[in-house]
Amino acid sequence: MTVVSRRFVSTDRRVREDRRFVAGSGRFVADIDLPGTLHVALVAAQHPAARIVAIDGAEALAMPGVIAVLDGQELSAATNPMMNGLDTPEVKRFPLAVGQNRYAGEWIAAVVAESRRLAEDAAEKVRVEVEPLGFVIDAEEAVSPHSLPVHPRHGSNVLLDRTFTWGAVEDDFSRSEERLSFRVTWGRSSTVPIETFGVIARWDPWSGILDVWASIQMPKYADQIARALKLPGNAVRVHYDVDVGGSYGVKRGIKQTVLAGYLARKLGRPVRLIEDRLENMRAGDAHGPERIFDVEAAFDRDGRVNSMRMRALDNAGAYAGRAPFQLGKPIGAIVGPYRIKSVEYRAMSVTTNKTVQEAVRGFGQSPTNYAIESMMDRVADHLGMDRLDLRRRNFIRADQFPYLIPSGSTYDSGDYHAVVEKVVAAAGYEALLAERDRLRGEGLCAGVGLAACLEPSGGNSSFEPLLNEKNRTSTWMESSRIIVDALGDVTVNIHTTSSGQGHETLAATVVGEVLEIDPDRIRVVRPDSLASLPGNSPVGSRMAVMLGGAASNAAKDLKRQMLAITANRMKVPVGDLVYDGGDVIGPGGSRLGWSDIVEIAHRRFHELPPGTSPGLTASFIQQVPTGVALPKDGKVQMYPCYSFEFHLVLLSFDPVLAKPEIHRYVIGHDCGTVINPHIVKGMTLGGIAHGIGAALLEEFVYDAEGQLMTQSFLDYLMPSTHEIPPVEIVHHCTPSPLTEFGQKGSGESGYLGAPAAISSAMQDAVAPWRVTLDRLPIRMSRVSDAIAAAQEEGVTSQ
Amino acid sequence: MKMELTGSEAIAASRQTLWDGLTDPGVLAKCIPGCKAMTETGPDAYDVEMQLKVAAVGGSFRGKVILRDKQEPDTCRMTLTGGGTLGTGNGSAEFTITEVAPDVSRLDYSCHGEIGGLVAGVGQRVLGSVSRHLARQFFANLQKHYQA
Repeated sequence: MTVVSRRFVSTDRRVREDRRFVAGSGRFVADIDLPGTLHVALVAAQHPAARIVAIDGAEALAMPGVIAVLDGQELSAATNPMMNGLDTPEVKRFPLAVGQNRYAGEWIAAVVAESRRLAEDAAEKVRVEVEPLGFVIDAEEAVSPHSLPVHPRHGSNVLLDRTFTWGAVEDDFSRSEERLSFRVTWGRSSTVPIETFGVIARWDPWSGILDVWASIQMPKYADQIARALKLPGNAVRVHYDVDVGGSYGVKRGIKQTVLAGYLARKLGRPVRLIEDRLENMRAGDAHGPERIFDVEAAFDRDGRVNSMRMRALDNAGAYAGRAPFQLGKPIGAIVGPYRIKSVEYRAMSVTTNKTVQEAVRGFGQSPTNYAIESMMDRVADHLGMDRLDLRRRNFIRADQFPYLIPSGSTYDSGDYHAVVEKVVAAAGYEALLAERDRLRGEGLCAGVGLAACLEPSGGNSSFEPLLNEKNRTSTWMESSRIIVDALGDVTVNIHTTSSGQGHETLAATVVGEVLEIDPDRIRVVRPDSLASLPGNSPVGSRMAVMLGGAASNAAKDLKRQMLAITANRMKVPVGDLVYDGGDVIGPGGSRLGWSDIVEIAHRRFHELPPGTSPGLTASFIQQVPTGVALPKDGKVQMYPCYSFEFHLVLLSFDPVLAKPEIHRYVIGHDCGTVINPHIVKGMTLGGIAHGIGAALLEEFVYDAEGQLMTQSFLDYLMPSTHEIPPVEIVHHCTPSPLTEFGQKGSGESGYLGAPAAISSAMQDAVAPWRVTLDRLPIRMSRVSDAIAAAQEEGVTSQ
Repeated sequence: MKMELTGSEAIAASRQTLWDGLTDPGVLAKCIPGCKAMTETGPDAYDVEMQLKVAAVGGSFRGKVILRDKQEPDTCRMTLTGGGTLGTGNGSAEFTITEVAPDVSRLDYSCHGEIGGLVAGVGQRVLGSVSRHLARQFFANLQKHYQA
């Protein structure tokens, strides 16, 4: 293996964004204060489903400072429905309920006033007369043909029901020596950023432009706003230079922006909608997947898993959006890191009277990883094998890459055995098991958990055409533009918002690397959407691959231009030149400096080679590596690059209290070449914290009457420093052959395996009691009750 | 979420006086915690307006109260339906008055209800104790009314 020496990539360099955040000088949407701004508060539905008989805003409008009350009738008459990912035209969705509401908390009316306080007070005075309707909360009930459809015109609650068979599933099952089946359920959790969603919209009738500042992370956001508001695409100007206080998928904000945009046009003043916690939790439409997995595994007694059948039933909530696609992305890593020969996968998404789902970190991959890893643990248990040995036996080997999995994706690279061996060595696997047994000897429940998971990265959108045949998407580009000004200083344009991913550091680092100049000298700016090249925003763990690719390719183009200018000047072939730290060296050591080349490019057209544009700029629109073909026979290359993580956890708890204490958390992580180690470390630690939340604490719980019971942080439990242990990260690097520096994605690292690993450890801890845990989050009360019940039945842990 | 509340209170009033008070909108408006107005809209039918605070949630509530199955001066049933910024509430209550001594009566009551909306989601963990507290306050007010 050749060792590549790099100046900036992978080196210990400060994350440039951190300075302003640490100093409290970020610029978030709530910091933007336009003169004359109006404020919005929302009137929420009380019932899970009800026909809206009348909305009377007279009393609210009579209050001082109240400007307008808007309902769904008026709004829906003036706008187009928001985008559906699937071909479900009768599942119409508007920012405010039209005619009936479909979940408790759904926004029924918006009140606009001179201040948020006045708007909230006035919202209490809006009289809503309703007639409660029947409703359905449970996904299995919703799927039944006898269930009430949430959208009667759609005819049923089924948004998606597709079965894929990849490989010889029947044969592999009949040839296998053993099989087992089980059910696990991923509870409805999400990413719950401290900054709720916020948007400010301002309409300028003289330019005909709607300016939007928002806390946003949404592909094709400006297009979607324009389409919904019936505006030309070039009438919506989204300002990307707004810091976003956390997202990990959920800051999609279409309904909020359409609402604010409509009001701004109607009222002729800037309109600001910043959700409070309750508006955000119950109606920000930002809940995550809620998924029941029925899994069947076929395997041999030596531990080889041959085939898998999986049915994933997802509770999408009241409207469709993009969320059902979260059943599609995991197809790209449906066998995890294992050599499973064939798979049958049934993906089902149903509507219910719950809050709408949005994308969450990993876009459905973490729940699927939990199901796959539960399967591996159960197979090991069934065979009486060590869980680690079982995984080793099934891992794809390093010499098998690129590796084509049954569902049509090729994994680019990896060395799973090496990562696992490094972690085992660092953690001392045998010693960890001994420590577990020692804790058990003290009367505690103690368990070792492990999970080996993939992070598909470089976000493509191939699940769109795979799950919706009318969708012909085969590109999911990202772009960058570099301008070298007449003084020779470099500015990189990136065309998206960031929600903490460090894109400015990323772009400066890779451009600095290619141009061999100090990244600290490189300015990174975010023009607004009208001045931007096409892109698809930082979703799908894609920016290291895609923005990193776009910026480095633009830099390479600049370098090419500089070489061409020098060759023309020196009258030598380009091949005789060497680029050196911004200068170009010719034969015999003659040198043309950076500033000389800039001078020629900007001022001396007569010295430019024929066909060369003056000025020194380059743009590059990066296509997803591998992302060109439409699906065929239910197969597609989903994402290009595959990062790997292996988690090893030791925890224990008192059998009566069942409050887990994590004693050791080691993760082995391979995301190829790391661009900035601090960013990757932050992603991984945050992802693990997020995963511990999903595994043990966080859930949007509904009661039987369809009311959301966890609307505040009193009830929706977030992990804090008390629950998050120190984490040891073990690095490994298997470069991707598909990217400029060998980088892969890491935006979802940690989260994609932590829930599976915690679940595995909890299950190991209760195994002596013959208790089975099959649902996340694993609540203390459930564990404690299950152990108590086992004790009553006479089971002892010995 | 479903709620139940049952209890028994001794009130310093004769059976008839207590009956008159419990079916008098003026008295009820004075005694129901947070009650702003109680307006008769028909025979045994009233509109009620309340301003309440439950845990972190405060707001207004408008509802309709209907008295049914009146057996003066012993028992009566009431139904309540309504909603407001706090949430929705539907329920029924039944009370029985027994005179236990001259000018002292025992009031036995049982209420069943369903609470929805904001207060169910945010106030669920305290709803039980808050409703008991409100009931206590109501009876304290009622005692005060008869002592005055």
